[in-house]
Amino acid sequence: MTTGLFPTQEIGSLQKPSLEALREWEPRLHFLEKLERLPDEVLRHPDVTTLQNLRAAFALAYLETAGLDRVYDGEARRIEMYEYAVRQMTGFEFQGHVRSWDSKYYRKGTIVGPVGLVAPYHLEEFEFVRAHTDRQVKLPVTGPYTLADWSYNEYYLARQSGWKGHAQRRAAQREFVVDLARRVLRPTLQRLVEHGCRIIQIDEPAAGTHPDEADLVVEGFNEAVQGLDAEFSIHICYSRYQDLLPTLLEAKACRQWAWEFANRDDPTHDGYEVLKLLREYGDRRSVGLGVLDVHRDQLETPEIVAERIGRAARYLGDPARIWVNPDCGLRTRSLEVAYAKLRAMTAGAGLARRVQDGTAG
Amino acid sequence: MRPTPPAIEAGLTSPFPRSERLVGVTRDLDRGRTSPEAAEKAFVEAETELVTLEEKLFSNVTAGYLRWNDLLRPIAESWGSFRVGPLTRWLETNTFYRQPILTGPPRRTPGAIAGRLPPPLRQRPARGRVLLPGPYTLLRCLENQSSIAESDVLLRLGQELGDEVAELGQAGFATVQFTDPVLVTAPPEGQLATATVDAYTAIARSSPKVRTVVWTYGSSAGPVLPLLDRLPVSMVGIDLADTEPEELRPGPPGQGLGLGILDPRTTLPETLADTAAIVRDAVRLRPTDHLWLGPGAPIDLLPTRPAEEKLLRLSDVHQMLLREGL
Repeated sequence: MTTGLFPTQEIGSLQKPSLEALREWEPRLHFLEKLERLPDEVLRHPDVTTLQNLRAAFALAYLETAGLDRVYDGEARRIEMYEYAVRQMTGFEFQGHVRSWDSKYYRKGTIVGPVGLVAPYHLEEFEFVRAHTDRQVKLPVTGPYTLADWSYNEYYLARQSGWKGHAQRRAAQREFVVDLARRVLRPTLQRLVEHGCRIIQIDEPAAGTHPDEADLVVEGFNEAVQGLDAEFSIHICYSRYQDLLPTLLEAKACRQWAWEFANRDDPTHDGYEVLKLLREYGDRRSVGLGVLDVHRDQLETPEIVAERIGRAARYLGDPARIWVNPDCGLRTRSLEVAYAKLRAMTAGAGLARRVQDGTAG
Repeated sequence: MRPTPPAIEAGLTSPFPRSERLVGVTRDLDRGRTSPEAAEKAFVEAETELVTLEEKLFSNVTAGYLRWNDLLRPIAESWGSFRVGPLTRWLETNTFYRQPILTGPPRRTPGAIAGRLPPPLRQRPARGRVLLPGPYTLLRCLENQSSIAESDVLLRLGQELGDEVAELGQAGFATVQFTDPVLVTAPPEGQLATATVDAYTAIARSSPKVRTVVWTYGSSAGPVLPLLDRLPVSMVGIDLADTEPEELRPGPPGQGLGLGILDPRTTLPETLADTAAIVRDAVRLRPTDHLWLGPGAPIDLLPTRPAEEKLLRLSDVHQMLLREGL
């Protein structure tokens, strides 16, 4: 664990390694040491649970070896962040695939009845992670606004009378978000907290897609975490954050903003400038600073990472409030590229630390 | 004497979703599990099936643009001074496009867009509806790495798109739709507003015989109507899922009115009575002699089955209005 400035953390999912990839990486990571010794035959033909355990142990060793301070399992047990969560609920139907881009698709659920919870989720994966790492554990949970926004709203919209225009859609969406927060997220988070989960990241990637619904993002978050004692953060990516402020600041129990910046940082545009707004609003929360562009294979250098951290520290006026992370999950990058990026990130954080300390060469 | 009732047409205004079979085939192709020939066969079958349905229900056909990865890709891939850039979110949706990167003066490549149109559409140009990005949306969605000022880029895009329309017109295409949602989600102001009008003027001059449509969605068109009224196009399309009818007002004489009456952001089917009522309200406030009904936002935001159900509902509303009048 890093002591001092600019600790590092993971932020989302990793590519799920095939059995062949697991075999290739084992000599570099020694992740099998985390598990009870498995017979060769089981390693060659693992059942679903064993494969999930292997992938989770792999992800932990991968992040630890890359040098991160806060880790998780790369979301090894989740189909993806939306469908996995929705399958733990009642009231949804899946009607087919929707294109995300090119030949990449996802299954989008339709809410056809009141949303309910089958059973609180994520506990099994949290307990596995906690038992297999000595690093800090940060658990990511898909937030209520994103779950609603990425679903088709039939049930709540049908309760609105007449033509379903903008006003009716918004009212229906608010009902859906609040029900998700109260009936699904809160009991799930409560169970995690009761079992010792202390650091929880609420993922709201959809928050930036409808800036005029930032109040619904906040309402959903506040309802979901009400009365719970844990260190909550909110992760939002690919957004114009200035459009969400100051509304977002009403998420009072949020202790860290984990945002993407590297994606929009290039020689012609300062991607970190929006941090000045937090200072102007007097917001004192920590920032999970995205320093790796997860949509490009091009590797960041430690020097670029360190420069970004230094720039952000100047804008915030307080280096102690910065955590360092990728912009978003690295699942779209190959394991080799993602690993090289993470190594550059931790090296860059170290360099930035030395610059702040005045010990850089 | 009662005014002549408007002609009423209906049809698709965006790419159609890929069927579950095409989803499987394209995934398999990506992973090397099927051949390009097998994928081509699946595309042809899906296009043929869709165009048959469109011909049965509507006067215009699109054949679904099933092969296009996004609306901007044909230009990003084929025009001079463009290259294909990073994944970028498409407006306020959970879908992404590859950002076109502009490195110099935009130059269209003759025949490139026409060659990328769905084959069944190329066989039916007179009934075909060609979909192209509007110049303003194209400007806003590209990354300008050239040294050309934004308003000049916009005007040049209009000129190049105009040449595209002229070529399509010569090939017999009667209708070209410019999908231009950013006109309402982030409207142009000042010099860019003037350049937007100039760009559409260049398009209109290029081939007066082709019916040009500007289609908007994603936000209310109400505040932008003064600008939309200045565009010399045959028809302006407005999404009634985002625009309240009360925001509408009379448009320029002779200009057609497109109304987005299907909301692809929900699988909930529109009701006949509510939809007919909202159309009547809209036409009362913005009278027209040529009405077009279609999905507002792109219908490929839905999976195939609910998209097909909505398409049938569109036909039902169309038939009802033809039967009962506005």
